[in-house]
Amino acid sequence: MLIRRRTLLTASAAATIASPALAQNYPRKAVQLIVAFPAGGSTDVGARILAAAAEKDLGQPITVVNKGGAGGQLGFTEIARARPDGYTLGFLNLPGLNTIILDPERKAAFNIDSFIPIVNQVLDPGLIWVKGDSPYKTLADLIDAAKKAPGKISACTTGILSDDHLAILMVQEAAKCEFRIVHFDGGAQQLTGVMGGHVDCAFDNVGSVFKRVQSGEVRGLAVTDVERSKFLPNVPCTKELGMATVISSSTRGVGAPKGTPADVIKVVETAFLKAIESPEMKQKMDAVGLALKPMAGATYAKYYADTQALAKKYTEWALKQR
Amino acid sequence: MEALTHLLHGFAAALSLNNLLFAFAGCMLGTLIGVLPGLGPAAGTAILIPLTFSLDATGAIIMLCAIYYGAMYGGTITSVLINVPGEAASVVTCIDGHQMARQGRAGSALGIAAIGSFVGGTLATVALVAVAMPLASLALKFGPAEFFALMVAGLCLVVGLAGSNMLAALLMTVIGLLLAMIGIDPVRGAPRFTFGAEELYDGIGFVPVVMGLFGIAELLLAAEKRQTHMISAELKTWLPTRQECRQSAGAIGRGTVVGFVLGLIPGVGAIVPTFMAYVLEKRVSKTPERFGKGAIEGVATAETANNAYANAAMVPLLALGIPSSPTIAVLMGAFIINGITPGPFLFTEQPALVWTVIASFFIGNLLLLILNLPLVGLWAKLLKVPFSYMCTGILIFCIIGAYGLKQSLFDVWMMLGFGILGYLLRKLDFPIAPAILALILGPMMEKSLRTTLEISGGSFAIFLDRPLALAMLVVPVIVIGVLIFKPRSLSPLRESDVE
Amino acid sequence: MRQGRLIATGAMLAFCLFALWQSLLLSLTDRLGPGPGFFPFWLALIGIVLAVALLITTAREPRDPSEGEIHILPHGPGALRWLAIVALLAAATVAMAVVGFRISMLVFNAALVIALGERRWWAIALFAVLGSFGVYYVFTTWLDVLLPTGWLEF
Repeated sequence: MLIRRRTLLTASAAATIASPALAQNYPRKAVQLIVAFPAGGSTDVGARILAAAAEKDLGQPITVVNKGGAGGQLGFTEIARARPDGYTLGFLNLPGLNTIILDPERKAAFNIDSFIPIVNQVLDPGLIWVKGDSPYKTLADLIDAAKKAPGKISACTTGILSDDHLAILMVQEAAKCEFRIVHFDGGAQQLTGVMGGHVDCAFDNVGSVFKRVQSGEVRGLAVTDVERSKFLPNVPCTKELGMATVISSSTRGVGAPKGTPADVIKVVETAFLKAIESPEMKQKMDAVGLALKPMAGATYAKYYADTQALAKKYTEWALKQR
Repeated sequence: MEALTHLLHGFAAALSLNNLLFAFAGCMLGTLIGVLPGLGPAAGTAILIPLTFSLDATGAIIMLCAIYYGAMYGGTITSVLINVPGEAASVVTCIDGHQMARQGRAGSALGIAAIGSFVGGTLATVALVAVAMPLASLALKFGPAEFFALMVAGLCLVVGLAGSNMLAALLMTVIGLLLAMIGIDPVRGAPRFTFGAEELYDGIGFVPVVMGLFGIAELLLAAEKRQTHMISAELKTWLPTRQECRQSAGAIGRGTVVGFVLGLIPGVGAIVPTFMAYVLEKRVSKTPERFGKGAIEGVATAETANNAYANAAMVPLLALGIPSSPTIAVLMGAFIINGITPGPFLFTEQPALVWTVIASFFIGNLLLLILNLPLVGLWAKLLKVPFSYMCTGILIFCIIGAYGLKQSLFDVWMMLGFGILGYLLRKLDFPIAPAILALILGPMMEKSLRTTLEISGGSFAIFLDRPLALAMLVVPVIVIGVLIFKPRSLSPLRESDVE
Repeated sequence: MRQGRLIATGAMLAFCLFALWQSLLLSLTDRLGPGPGFFPFWLALIGIVLAVALLITTAREPRDPSEGEIHILPHGPGALRWLAIVALLAAATVAMAVVGFRISMLVFNAALVIALGERRWWAIALFAVLGSFGVYYVFTTWLDVLLPTGWLEF
């Protein structure tokens, strides 16, 4: 990381000279950003891009620390237990964080109040897709088939209690149909499963497969959001298809452990927000198909609480089926 | 053939000075990273990704792939010399490779590993060129049911690893399988046998366990014997002798096939082909009792399979955009960061790039051979370092390796614990290899069975519908049944066939 | 050695019994077939059978007089070295959580090298520093691998 070190040293030097606004003593030294997933994954990539951009505005180096394992639980625990002095921040993945808290067997060492949501970066909406040459041309086709043969049409997720899993439950509730739910471990397995003809459809996120939808290799049936994805303008969203309750996405943002002082939070919020709204960030995120949805302050706090409530309903449903 | 023309163009580009340099640098860096115990190709590749940011796309890919193969080979070096598997797949090489080193034949071991890797990798790449697309589509037909059957077949091969004490081997397998059940179960998605320890949610960390069972145990054994050096035997040869090469020829051939075929199937991972190739070799050999005591065929086949697998795993990646293993997923991430999206359209959209990269696979394999054969002597010289420093040095790197994976001191404790366990098992002559195989295959087996049942809605009849899966399930069970109850009937001429 | 094998097999038997008990706490079946306790249960059962069989066959082995004195646990002058490795490794791991990698490894390196026979003070010191601070620098700065920094954040 020799390259990055040099850039950030120059950047922080420039920042400290240029911004007298950092009159309060924070930050005096490097800040850690804990990412609960392994290096190289999509969460990590987004986090690193954000950290590199926000460094300039924060005025201090931001070191990304990967603490992967147990689907994020180890990392989230680390964030919750960190000293609330503003020098340890965390990358919060919703609804991953929520389902871990809501699953009693996971015995999470944290709950929803253990974190202060500061600013959101990415909102990756869910996408229902099938093989490119599949007989299902629209979501209605798929649901019809599921109604005619309850429990026979298979839909796969990227993991038990993932946002994909919850999305399937939402569709089942809204359309009054029943799928045969198959759980894979990640997007690569989903691809093999659907392209190999072993499963009928897949619930995943736009960022993971948007290039394949664009190329025609797979067909996107619906985006589970209130609006269409700008990466997939030809794929309808669930709201316009009449299923306004099927709203599911994976969001990633920055948070801090409970107890971090409000003025520190403000500084962090300003710096990261600036980075997220910058054109370079937009460009980088567009390249990987991740939609930016900056939310900060009260907006993010509300989204955070709402997601927990929504996740609670469907997670409990999923847990009952255990 | 159109492919051939493309390939020739690719060679022209790959042989440019820049690209050659990147390939060379990648091989070297990869080998160095691979030598560090525990860090492995996945972490190593991830670590070196930032280096490639400043390069053009082609150069970056070439370098990353070279790092990948280099890291695979680097793991071999530590496996042979100090019995520490540099990365998970090198475990099998430890079994015979380190024994060879103890007999002063480290040069032969490392040499045949380099040669085998080259042959395996090159042949796999040739096959890739010839049949990438059709093979890739075929590989997709391999679903969870077939995967489950493959895992069961793999476990049955344990019998092939058994050696003299079948009961002990089977017991170790069962214990390995039980340990593999620790973690979040595939059925409910809830922690099982973790007793509240969050760190165990992902299961017993394979890398710390293996580093302990092999590496630490080896150090403990050596310390107890008050050895002055890791290996006391003088290095006899720098390269394998002609006879050794001839002995290994068959092993290399079989290793290539096993590695290649399994590399095409997404999700198999590098350890499975190396184990299977090894067990196959032992089964086929006229003198299977030499295995585990320094049989060069063991090293040859494992390393060949490993490299053939690594090259073949590029097929699902390039042709379908599906990464076969976590390491390849990291590679794929690197591709994407550099603006290249692997997938079926890659061949048509960016043929120049793809074929240049494929051409550089050939070059990379050759470079590895050229780089590493002369260096064998250098690596072997490491053994001259006195034990006090060697042991401490190895431990420093093992600690870093075990900790660095998940920033977890828990993993370091695991390594120590299994180190002591490995020491005891070695002294008491309990075979460790079956437990390792079980530890790897167990979770994959249970998970794929679960997924199969999710797909079939709980019906086992799905196996009747899928002949390949059925065959893979039934044949090995029959074979081991025969072997367990009539071990002598299959090799009546063994005694008199000694060369 | 036979005694050692008997003890080891006994330990494995105990392990399988424990696993059997634990797996009974989980459900053996599930709406789709095997439950989370299914495989562990049957494996533990098979393990128990195998362990008992192994105990019997090992016990019935004729005592081999030529085997001589082979101790399972470390024995003789080498035992101290064995103990040094284990104890120092454990101590270093504990220390690392508190004082961080560099200091713990500094002490670990020096102590272990001395325990394993090295006596030249300059060599010990050099190696200790390189193997702690030096290694830390290389890994954290060049390779971006994070190493423990302990409570004092050092």
